Order: sequence, then structure tokens, then C-alpha cells
Amino acid sequence: MKTEPGPPSRSADLRYALHRFRQNPLIIAGSVISIGTILIAIFANVIVNPKLGRSTDLDLRLCWNNPALNWHITNVFNCGGTVYPLGTDTYGRSVLSMIILAIPLDLQIALEVVISAVVIGVFFGAIAAYAGGVIDEVILRITDIFLAVPAILLAIVLLVILGRSFSILTFAIVITWWPTYVRLIRSQVLGEKEKPYVEGLRAMGAGRVRILFRHVVPNSIYPVFVQATLDIGSVILTVSALTFLGFSPSPLIPELGNLANAGSTYIFTAPWLIIFSGVTILVISLGFNLLGDGIRDVFDPRLRR
Amino acid sequence: MVLVLFLLSLLIFYLTRGLLPASSAISQYITPKMNSIAKLQLAQSLGVATKSCPNFTAFSDSQAGCVVPLWGQYVGWLHNVLTGNWGYTLLPGISGTETTLTVFFQRFPLTAELAIAGAGLTILIGIPLGIVSATHNNKLPDHLSRIVSLGGYSIPQFWFGAMLQILLVLYIRVGGLGLFPANGAFATICAICIPNPGTATAYTGAPLFDGILSGNPAYTWDALVALALPAITLAITSIGALTRIVRSSMVDALKQDYILLARSKGLRGRVVIYRHALRNALLPAVTIAGLLAAFLLGGAIVIEIVFTWPGVGSASLAAANSLDINFLELYVLVTALIIVLTNLVVDILYAKLDPRIRY
Repeated sequence: MKTEPGPPSRSADLRYALHRFRQNPLIIAGSVISIGTILIAIFANVIVNPKLGRSTDLDLRLCWNNPALNWHITNVFNCGGTVYPLGTDTYGRSVLSMIILAIPLDLQIALEVVISAVVIGVFFGAIAAYAGGVIDEVILRITDIFLAVPAILLAIVLLVILGRSFSILTFAIVITWWPTYVRLIRSQVLGEKEKPYVEGLRAMGAGRVRILFRHVVPNSIYPVFVQATLDIGSVILTVSALTFLGFSPSPLIPELGNLANAGSTYIFTAPWLIIFSGVTILVISLGFNLLGDGIRDVFDPRLRR
Repeated sequence: MVLVLFLLSLLIFYLTRGLLPASSAISQYITPKMNSIAKLQLAQSLGVATKSCPNFTAFSDSQAGCVVPLWGQYVGWLHNVLTGNWGYTLLPGISGTETTLTVFFQRFPLTAELAIAGAGLTILIGIPLGIVSATHNNKLPDHLSRIVSLGGYSIPQFWFGAMLQILLVLYIRVGGLGLFPANGAFATICAICIPNPGTATAYTGAPLFDGILSGNPAYTWDALVALALPAITLAITSIGALTRIVRSSMVDALKQDYILLARSKGLRGRVVIYRHALRNALLPAVTIAGLLAAFLLGGAIVIEIVFTWPGVGSASLAAANSLDINFLELYVLVTALIIVLTNLVVDILYAKLDPRIRY
């Protein structure tokens, strides 16, 4: 009995995908950046001693002594002895070390947000599409509320009311993020549930829950993965925007938006702080966006020539 | 549409009244002269304290039977919301002297100016970029446009704003002055500003529109110069979505039979692209107007902070820091109203543009 395309066509598909993958330099760049970011996040505490994040030396605050770059700003404070490749921050810590220590935290928050939002969104979206009727209507109206308010504004309100911590920050962003996945999976499931195999399963006596979550959802999940990859970048941007605005539990914590927040006061006297923390966010976010965009192009049959 | 606003009001109501202590509900209505009897009367008139509550201390300690149950507070809350009774602002400097509503609508025109300029630039850059991308599918211009739109999608707004400032204010200097002003919504001290622009009548509260309406070109120019960098930052970070949707719908449109027909009739390529393909390709692009409005209004918060733009966005941060909940509530409800109205206009426009659609 054959219900799926056989192995030969599937491996041909994969070969074709890999071929397109290799053809596109942007996807390769995206994969390299994303994998690099994940590796740095895993080994951050090995590359840089995490104790450096807590050791402050105000005598060394906002200094620069890397001879490779001259800022042409009057009165740049020199750090003396040890070279700090990217200067120091407002607490006299090496900016490079702080950026490396910040990557795991930002990536962790981004992954937590995206995974929670995908799980909640897929669950409610699939139910809405499969059940239809009143349930569909109720779930859609609830998502409408969140799509009618800028995510960052709602997150600010939640942070003000619930208090400032990274777990509340994560929660606040999840609250604003899950509705997009509801919309996405809903439209997929609506198309998928009309297919003959679903009727076949029903005729075989499979339960509704089993049909939906074992068969229909796995078959409609692919655009969700693309969106999730893209969203890792967007969530990192949102998290850093919120911490840039000062919604971080403590300004001492090495976190990319936090570093930029400290640098924003010194844009014209110590520009390196905001420049390099921002560049890091840009590169990471661009990496995941390139990867997600590339995956969509490779696997979207409509764009094939 | 009304349903969405109603549900949102329930959410906001629950967040502020349900999760915060009862006494915070009246904190923005208290004036310094009030004694505890007046405070209790205030709490009762706002519908938060019960009529049988003996004294103010019992109310602020949330003693049993003193605080009106949550479901009973909603109507009173909604009445205040709709009549514009938002209490006094807690913003630093003007705390207690001005009402929240006055402060909000003094600052709102500036945010509107920024968002409208951002939207205009987004459309001006985003649509041509999407067209070029589609007509040169998978060739160099497509890749370049993809890098620009993906880059814009990935750029932290505060970073791009800071980079513009560092480049155009710190490094490119003419006669000892930065090329552009670094902050504010109106500037007379920068290399390309006009030093004595005169005045303009405050018709709208937004300098650019006031300058135009008063017929003062120098004033308009100074407002435009101050607006340039924030608006560019806002636009660059929001063109991604528009460019992508224009590109994909344009690629689809160019594959249609009527394009083949138009080409085989011998029409010039430009006519085919702009008259036949673009008109159909722009339809799906209209649908993201609501999302774009949400993005612009949200992005305005960060950008207003970076450029010290005196709009509601930068005030909302001050409001968050001074626990001015009512200001944030008002901001959420006004942006939601704008976004919901945008979506309504889009729906009507869509039906008008596409005669196949009937509601």
C-alpha cells in the first residue's frame, strides 16, 4: 500500500533542494551566521569568563585604545595597558566580552518566545480551523485584539503592570506573538482538512483529535517553520528594543539592548558602545532572516523555475 | 470592528484594574489638597469603592466589602474612558498639573507627523523596490532589493537612528555644525537649517503641517529637516514587508495570461508592467496597510527616544517609568482605534478596487 510519494522521488526532491541551497549565496551566508551564533551562544562561557560580566572598574569606563580605529573625537579616554578591541562600556568592561556574554541570553529569550508562540499558536489555530463555527470565530476575535495593538506597546504595558524581569519580558512578547501563528496554521489547516486523505482517515474511524494533531497539523506545519526561523530575528529585535528602552531588570546584565541603552547617552562621545552592540543584533537577526527566506524559496514550489 | 475594540477594552480594563491594587485606580484623580474623606468620595464616584465603605484606609487596604467587585467597575471605567476623564498626568515635570488627555493630544500630532512621513517614505521606496525585484526575478537587482528589504527587516531601529546621527551630526559637519539636527521636531541650529524661520500658527500641533498651512516656507523647511532622519529610520525598518508582498504578487501577476496577451499585442514592456501587472499586483499590498500602521506606530516609540522626538512615543516611556498607567491605556486604545479604522478603510477600498469581492 502506497499512500505517500515513494523514496526515489523524495530523495530527488531533497537533492533538488540541496542543489538550490548551494546555488543561493544568501542562504549559505544565513546558515553560516545562524550556526555561528548558536555556537557562540553555546560556548560563550568558555570563550569569555562569565565573571567579567560582574567585575566593574569605573576607572576604565568608556575608554578606547584599539589603534586600528581612530574615532576622531576629542577627548577619547585611553584605557592604557590591555587592548580592548571594541573599547569598554559604562562599567569599564570590555565591550567585546560583554557582547559575547550577551548572545546566549538574547538567543535563549528568542527561542523561548518563538517556541512558546508556535506551540500556543498552532494549538489554537489548528483547533479554530478544524472545528470551525463558533470556536473559530471566538479564537479569531481574540487574535484580532492583539493584532490591533503594536506588539512593543502592549509588551510595555505588561512590563509596567507585572514588573521587570526577563521571564515577564518573554511572557509579554509571547502574548503579542502567538496570534500570527494562529492565522498562519489556520489558513493551512483549512486547505489541508478538505483533502481526500482526511476523509479516508475519518472513514477508517480515526478520532478527530488524532486526525488533527497526528495527520493534518504535521502536513501543514512547513510554513510555520519558515515563519519561526524568520521570527527568531524579529524577536531578538523586539527584545533588544525593549531592553534598549530600559525594560531590563538591571543595567548591569550583559544583554545587547542593555549595552545599546548605556551607549545611547554617549552617542557622540563613545559611539562604539551603541555601534557594536547594534551591529551584533543586526548580524544575528539578518542571519536568521536570510536562512528563513532562503528555506522558503527553496521549498516553495510556486517559485521554482 | 466595534467588537475588537470592546474586547480590547476588556483586556486593558482587566490588566489595570484586575492586576493592580484598587487604590491605584484612583491615584491619577487625586489632587494634593484632598483629605481622606474627599479621597473616599472620589473612589466612590469613580465606582471603585462601595457606598458602605467606612473610611479611605479601609479602601486602600482593600478590606472586604470596600472595593466594588471587578465586573461592577467596568461600566464606570468605560464611562470615564469614553468621556475623556483620564485624570491628571503623572509625567515628571507636569505631574498633577495637566490632565492626561491634554498631554496626550498635545504630543500626538508629532507622532502622527512622524508616522505619516514614515508611511509615505515606506510606500515611495518599498513599491518600486518590489517592482524592480519582480521584473528582474533572480537577477542582480532582485538580490540587491532582497538585501535592502531583509536588511531593513533586521536592522535594530535604535541602531540605525544612532548611525545616522553619528554620520550626519557628528562626522559630516559644515561650518562647525552638524549637517542635520540630532533631536527635536523642529530645529534652527544645523548646517542646512534656516536660522530665523519666523513663526507659524499652531493649526495642527505638528510643525511640518503648521508650516505648510501658515504658508511659511522657511519654517516648513526647518520642520522637514528635523523630520528627515527619524522618518528615514522608520521607513527603512518597515519597507521589508511591503517590498516582499509587492514582489511576490508582481511575480504572480507577470505570469498571468493577460500579460502574455498584452505583450503579444506588441505593447511596450513598461506599459505592460505598470498598466497591466502593477494594478493587479498592488491589490494584495493594500491588505498589509493595517499591519504597517501597527508597525509604524510601535516603531515610533523607539525612534522618538533615539531622536528625542517630543511625541507620545517618548512620553509613553516616561509614563512607564512614572507608572502613569492611564497614559499608556490611552495610547493603546488610540493606536488600536487607528489600526482598526485602517483595516476598515482597507476592506472598503479592497472591495472598490476588486469588483469580484462582495461583502
